[in-house]
Amino acid sequence: MEQRDIIHQYLKELERYLARLEKAQAQEVLKEIESHIFDALEQQQGSGLTEDAKAILQGFGEPRELALAYIAHITTGAPPPVGFKAIQKVKQGVTVTLYYAMAAFGFSIALALFFIAGAEVIMPDSVGAWSAGNGHSLAIGFFATPYPADQELLGAWLAPIAILSALLVSTLTRRVLRALKHQR
Amino acid sequence: MLYILLCNAKYNSSHGYFMTTAEKEEKTQEKWEVQLRKGTLELVILAALQHRTLYGLELLKLLQSFKSAAITEGTLYPLLDRLKREGIVDAQWVQEGDVRPRKYYSLTATGHHKLADLITLWRQSVLDVEFLLAHPGPDALPVQGE
Repeated sequence: MEQRDIIHQYLKELERYLARLEKAQAQEVLKEIESHIFDALEQQQGSGLTEDAKAILQGFGEPRELALAYIAHITTGAPPPVGFKAIQKVKQGVTVTLYYAMAAFGFSIALALFFIAGAEVIMPDSVGAWSAGNGHSLAIGFFATPYPADQELLGAWLAPIAILSALLVSTLTRRVLRALKHQR
Repeated sequence: MLYILLCNAKYNSSHGYFMTTAEKEEKTQEKWEVQLRKGTLELVILAALQHRTLYGLELLKLLQSFKSAAITEGTLYPLLDRLKREGIVDAQWVQEGDVRPRKYYSLTATGHHKLADLITLWRQSVLDVEFLLAHPGPDALPVQGE
């Protein structure tokens, strides 16, 4: 390519990236850089070197990068670091996964509690909360061969308590989900 | 409790990502020489323009003739643009004879004040470093002050 063509192509590209500046400002920048390039080109000739526009343009860097340095004061704050988009994506991915995992986890616990409450009403004999192993563990659920009734802890109270717990768990879940949504 | 833990884990992980990337970025740029050149660049440019009017290419060649001030066109021109916006330098297009017009830079009054401030800071910094270098251990540092 002809030296001048290379230069004009560079300036044209730079002009495109300077579009965020006011027209007069952008033209001023272009005029100065153009003046520099042709001056430098003449100096190369003057000192007996072969014209090398590419070498001069290399000092200016990519048109996009150069333009960014000129418009940095317009774009609020510092330009985002390289790789920023990827981080956002990972962050968003984490949040989305967490959001649905949270929903599944919370609501299934609430549903199970509701289920126990309902079952307690329908077949009170085989559903209940028992203390087992001398109080070392607690069993809630329903069993084919129920524990002796006198070891049952809550009796008929299990149903209202289970319903209350279910409501509490689902409310909490909804609150957490709302908080997660705000984070996105 | 579990909810809180989950929330915290999420919070920490997202912030963790930011930290490590920022740190990595810092690491690659943290070559001391680059940092030093960056830090002194404004002082160097103002010093070069002290009682002197230069156009971009001239200033660039001047800076590139010093080992510690060699910068590229892509650094110089946007920096000059900023200095002009801040009122530290002034610029004027001048046409001499039949050569193409050139944009000449000079210090404004603000620029001269700024230069004076930077010179004070620079000289103090050099004095402090030299003082430390001149007094290696294991002897205790003498009390500073003339």
